[in-house]
Amino acid sequence: MAALKLFLLYVLLVLFHAPLHAAPAPDLEDRTREIATELRCVVCQNLSVADSPSEMAQQMRAIVREQLQAGKTDEQIKEFFVSKYGEWVLLKPKTTGFSALLWILPYVVLVIGVITALWFVRRWSTNKRQSVTPRAESSDLAPAQGELLRQDFALPDIEDTSSRAQLLRERGRVKDELNELEFDFQSGKLSETDYAALKHEIESKGGTVLRQLNSLPAEPARKSQHKPAKDKSPKDPVSHNRFKRWQLISGGVFLMLFGLALGVMLTQSIRPRQGANDSMTGDFMTGTTPANGEAAAALAEGKQAFSRQEFPKAIEAFKKVLSADPNHPEAHSYMGFVLMQAGHGDGALMAFEKALTRAPNFPMALWGKGMVLYQDKKDFAGAREIFERLLNLVPPGEERNEVAKVLAEIPATGGAPKSTSTAAPAATPSGQNISGTITIDPKLKDKIDPQAALFIIARPAAATGGPPLAVKKIDKPTFPLTYSLSQENVMMQGTPFTGKINITVRLDKDGNPTTRGAGDLTGEYKKNPVEVGAKNADVIVDQLL
Amino acid sequence: MSWRRLIITLLIIAPILALLAFGFTRDAKYITSPLLAKPATSFTVTLYDGKKIALADLRGKAVFLNFWASWCTPCRAEAHDLEAAWQKVKDKDMIFLGVALQDSDQASKEFLKEFNVTYPNGRDESGKIAVDYGTWGIPESFFIDPQGRITYKHVGAIRAALVLSKLEEAAKGIASAQEGRGDYQGVR
Repeated sequence: MAALKLFLLYVLLVLFHAPLHAAPAPDLEDRTREIATELRCVVCQNLSVADSPSEMAQQMRAIVREQLQAGKTDEQIKEFFVSKYGEWVLLKPKTTGFSALLWILPYVVLVIGVITALWFVRRWSTNKRQSVTPRAESSDLAPAQGELLRQDFALPDIEDTSSRAQLLRERGRVKDELNELEFDFQSGKLSETDYAALKHEIESKGGTVLRQLNSLPAEPARKSQHKPAKDKSPKDPVSHNRFKRWQLISGGVFLMLFGLALGVMLTQSIRPRQGANDSMTGDFMTGTTPANGEAAAALAEGKQAFSRQEFPKAIEAFKKVLSADPNHPEAHSYMGFVLMQAGHGDGALMAFEKALTRAPNFPMALWGKGMVLYQDKKDFAGAREIFERLLNLVPPGEERNEVAKVLAEIPATGGAPKSTSTAAPAATPSGQNISGTITIDPKLKDKIDPQAALFIIARPAAATGGPPLAVKKIDKPTFPLTYSLSQENVMMQGTPFTGKINITVRLDKDGNPTTRGAGDLTGEYKKNPVEVGAKNADVIVDQLL
Repeated sequence: MSWRRLIITLLIIAPILALLAFGFTRDAKYITSPLLAKPATSFTVTLYDGKKIALADLRGKAVFLNFWASWCTPCRAEAHDLEAAWQKVKDKDMIFLGVALQDSDQASKEFLKEFNVTYPNGRDESGKIAVDYGTWGIPESFFIDPQGRITYKHVGAIRAALVLSKLEEAAKGIASAQEGRGDYQGVR
């Protein structure tokens, strides 16, 4: 029996306890999500921490989970984030303190709006009633009070809330009531007894009003008597109504213009986000870059045209971008490259400068400016400074290697080298230079780009890499041409122009010594290496890249 | 009477326009920190050389705490300046501490090597330190006085001269009323 009891007890315990143990604890993930839904993601800003796919939001969710596991309440966790990021981090602002205004203000504005609307409606209806009420006519009633009550007088302004004004309004109402009573009696709606009783009642009410009016101090009374005399409009209902109509029309026009201005301002200032780092406000009010469809499309079109070397088309497109945003750094940079291609170094430099005014660390503009200084202005010190700055900004990768390569090629000194625009004959003492003739393989004659620049490059025969020993650039060369490389063409000042040297030439389409592109023509001295002092180191340009 | 109406109308419209102007002219992305003049949260970070450093151990020194990442362009722009500033103060009672966030170990190390950074640097693997300092745009720099109180915050690249002057202020316990701003990049 005892065993049976124990068994039953056991069964009961199992039955009643089992569900308790099996009941799922409040789901941690659900609670984490619930809290994360109320927190604003610091990366996306318009998404909650729960919805944002960013790394930061993931880390924030992990912190929420961890704090929940540590037994913190929802409020404590939210308070933690508020202490770090401010109330900004809450998607729902608090209902206390200054934030409470955000909750209360809309209702306050609503109440004020309703009250104002009611006030206007009442005012309009009062005005209307006053304008349609027949004006008092002389009565055959004898009592002095009755006469006084029927006298015509100017009503005070509706906004005047003084006791005199209120009494005058009451007197006006009494007058109206008396007129209506008279009308009803004469049209036979009222018996003589009723008429007399009602008339007495109204007149006694009017008498009280008149007495109260008389008991008021004399001075304000004088003022109110003068006022209607000065302001004639209330006495003249036609001009008064006309005045009101004009007020209504001008109010309507003002509201319409205000709405239009607001509409234009909003459409101009708000735009779809172009990425995580973009803001939805911008353009003409904040002066940020235009991300509107038209300018973005023009920019894309310009870039495409630029890559196809359709420069007039590219210029048109970039001009369109610049008309939308006169300081667009990318458009200015591209314009700079176009001008560079056309050989307008000064114009290009100005374009890159404009881009850098808006974005001082814009890599593309830095690259362009550096190139102009290096190749066109021969300002090596300036170019070095720009490329060194750029080198710091560009993360490791192919682009950075390119910058490093150019930097290595720029001569260390700031002095501009002598002009290399024409093929100068050998001017240095013989024995210290290499000279010869450069000709084009007849098969490649039609491949010559009239804008191309010729680079004559001398590398030490022993070197396997690194910058050349000497380089000479000849813009728009005509073949065959004679050349001479000497000490004055060396890149690193102080390096002697001696020893065995490999001579190569490149007819470069883009005039950029650092880039070897398709369409460039190359050639080399067939008997490389050559000793400094050699003459007739002739080169035939016979390869197409 | 018409003057009174005009004034009432202006009184209604002016606050609305002011509110709109405020909304449209501010940087919607910018988050103003509530941490200025508040105690800096302590943390421990493992440095790239394997040692550990805790902020609490740096009491008595003015601390320059810098959050950075190797992929962040403004961080690269300020790297030389920070090292130059460090060279000037390393023998004083001041310390620089760099914390890399949202970055790989290798990329961070390469960054430090590239810019010859010699002050202590570690990585915030979980992102907890970044959240503790309300980080949202990098680089972000915090100046902490010898009592462990944040005296100044700068969002974006900072120049050496400003680092030195704000560090001097931190050493004296002078807290700035406003945070500074330079070129910044959002965290990821």
